[in-house]
Amino acid sequence: VSLTRRLVFGRNPRRTLIRILVLAGVSFVVFGWMLTPIRVRGISMEPAYRDGALNLVNRVVYRFRSPARGDVVAIRLAGPHVLYVKRIVGLPGERIAFVNGNLQVNGTALAEPYVLNRNPWDVPEVACGPREYFVVGDNRGMRAGDHDFGRVDARRILGTLVF
Amino acid sequence: MTRRAQAGLIVLVAVAAVGSWIWHTYASPEERAVRGRLDALAAEFNAATTDGLGTAIRAARLGQYFTEKVVVELGQGSPPIHGRETLVGMAARLQPRTAAFVLELDDVTIQLVDAARADVALTVVIRRRSMASGEESLDAREFSAEMQKDGGEWRISRVVAVDTLR
Repeated sequence: VSLTRRLVFGRNPRRTLIRILVLAGVSFVVFGWMLTPIRVRGISMEPAYRDGALNLVNRVVYRFRSPARGDVVAIRLAGPHVLYVKRIVGLPGERIAFVNGNLQVNGTALAEPYVLNRNPWDVPEVACGPREYFVVGDNRGMRAGDHDFGRVDARRILGTLVF
Repeated sequence: MTRRAQAGLIVLVAVAAVGSWIWHTYASPEERAVRGRLDALAAEFNAATTDGLGTAIRAARLGQYFTEKVVVELGQGSPPIHGRETLVGMAARLQPRTAAFVLELDDVTIQLVDAARADVALTVVIRRRSMASGEESLDAREFSAEMQKDGGEWRISRVVAVDTLR
């Protein structure tokens, strides 16, 4: 058996084939339904997530617990290939507002150490429904009009970012 | 796990993968026609030109993808656009600006209501590269659309922007 053939197929080609098939099957299941690879585009989550960064979405996590404040989540639009990446700042039933750039939850200011740039956003109070979360990006240095944020239905939240 | 169980698991996963691929690849002929029409619309949009008469011709070509009485609702703050003529006029006027955009249609889901009507959900991604800085910006919006078979061709009769974040 030549060295090249041995390097490609291994000592036991049948076993190598089985390994390849198992690896392909596991990758198909894991990266298709459990850990979706994504590339972050845009600046709305800076500085935590920079434009072009690679990450994984853990799509299993919310089978074991509910989304929590501070979670960075992937939100699906029409499907799972284009996603919003935002941080959860409001939970179901809570009232959210921005006053002079500061986030208020039920009328009380929320400390947000992950926000480094802050423009004086003023957004009137909105109430989250029983299955709604309020999500927003970390980069508040942008104009509010250029930033997508608001209430999202829980069914649209695909999972959390791994890194 | 025994060797037989391992082999069974592998076959199961392989069958699931092939089944999924077939399901996504070989949809019904009408579904393929609708998808093809949307792909052609995106290609036509991306082929837009800024040169004089070309803009009017391209805009008219884009208009062929919509029904005569199309309604486009872009969401809060934008009044609905009624009719193909209005849309074509807007497309012609906006082409010098939209020529810098690349339009992609992602996550297209097609549901045939009957032989001549289809409901479509899709994400529209617009990429724009700044001529000055070379930086690329990207915007994504979710839309639902209704399509009708009109004169043997699938055309868009209604487009509504979906508020993913409210």
